[in-house]
Amino acid sequence: MGRRVAAPEDRTAMDVDISPLIENWQFILTGLGFTLSLSGLSIVLGVGIGLVCGVMRTYGGSLLDTAIGLYVDLLRSIPVLAILVWTYFAFPLVIGESLTPFSGGVLALGVHLGAYVTEVIRAGLTSIRPGQMRAALALGMSPLQAIRTIILPQALIRMLPPLGSLIVIAVKDSAIASVIAVPELLRQSQVLAGKTFRPFEIYTAAMLIYFLICYPTARTIDQIYRRFAPLGAS
Amino acid sequence: MTFDWSVVWDNRWRLISGAEMTIVLTATTMAVALPGGLLLALLRLSPFRVVRSFTTGIVEFFRATPLILQIYWIFYVLPAAFDIRLSEFATALLGLSLNVSSFNSETFRAGIQSIRPGQWNAALALGMSKPQVLHKIILPQAMLRVLPALASTWVSLFKDTSLVSIIAVADLSYVALKIRSETYRVLEVLTAMAALYCLMGYPQAKLVDWLHRRLKVAE
Repeated sequence: MGRRVAAPEDRTAMDVDISPLIENWQFILTGLGFTLSLSGLSIVLGVGIGLVCGVMRTYGGSLLDTAIGLYVDLLRSIPVLAILVWTYFAFPLVIGESLTPFSGGVLALGVHLGAYVTEVIRAGLTSIRPGQMRAALALGMSPLQAIRTIILPQALIRMLPPLGSLIVIAVKDSAIASVIAVPELLRQSQVLAGKTFRPFEIYTAAMLIYFLICYPTARTIDQIYRRFAPLGAS
Repeated sequence: MTFDWSVVWDNRWRLISGAEMTIVLTATTMAVALPGGLLLALLRLSPFRVVRSFTTGIVEFFRATPLILQIYWIFYVLPAAFDIRLSEFATALLGLSLNVSSFNSETFRAGIQSIRPGQWNAALALGMSKPQVLHKIILPQAMLRVLPALASTWVSLFKDTSLVSIIAVADLSYVALKIRSETYRVLEVLTAMAALYCLMGYPQAKLVDWLHRRLKVAE
């Protein structure tokens, strides 16, 4: 049977037909896989950058503070879209090496997220009273040891709520990678909507899938925080 | 690879008009989303359970799905499924306003709930009606407290307006991406686009940081 290519006016206002979704479930699942791996890797990269930059900015002296501050302010004042297209289209011209959409997406989203994570880590670290650092040093710990065993464990618990929102934001921002043709959920939905002329069913399904990822994630992190919040108090 | 930056200067008026659109869209959206957010926040504090759950559902839904998808949804689904045709600008404004209203409503709700319940009780005991208490006692204090959070939302919104370029609203991103495809000066144009956003966004971000420090609540 041929595809229905009905003009919008031929249709009654709401005839919902979910068969394009059922027929193309694998296509959508591939997109979901890319959404999860893209946001997962960009979170790993972002948290890695944020941890290193956050610690260096807090304890590394004024020169590092200024340099990292510049990175943070720069990336926080440019839209993700601009960072994505710049990384994918312009950055290869600088390095003379082309990027795949996926690696460009991970790089752009990770470096962007890293700026926000840096600030969260810094706020968390500075919220621990300086007396604790001095006490640890007085006991003969090295600064790194003190950060790793005394400061960070407490700070991480306090950082959970903002880090949780950043994780949800990372999943949502991964949809913007559709503009550089990463075949993630939104991109796959666009392709499918174009092929089947069923934008309502397909975009609504995509919306529900994003909601089913983001909402439980946010709630779970809230629960974890409530469970552990007393450990972060000092 | 040689770079030719004159392409940026030659197209300066188009870029500036794009930047104007970005600012207009940000300001218009915020003008809609402030009352919109307040309304949603008040509905979430309503005594009727149905109203509360319905509003909560809407707010949570808009907060937990990507804005870019919301814009697509409105752009493709309203005309196809409901036969509602809006201009690109109206579509963009609707999408951004719904999204930002949801975020603002959480901000307002937090602000309203941060005022100690004793103040409600005291005002009610003095014989004021509930709307009076809200209007005269609670909101004036809550507004000041939520100002930094609203300002942060403003900066996010300013950046998020770039997403409307996908539905051909002639904002800074759209204009820049168009110049890029006309001239093939990819690096120059995209760098100029990022720089322009940064130039406009940076002072706003600094202002927000200042507001956060200045209006820090100590109760």
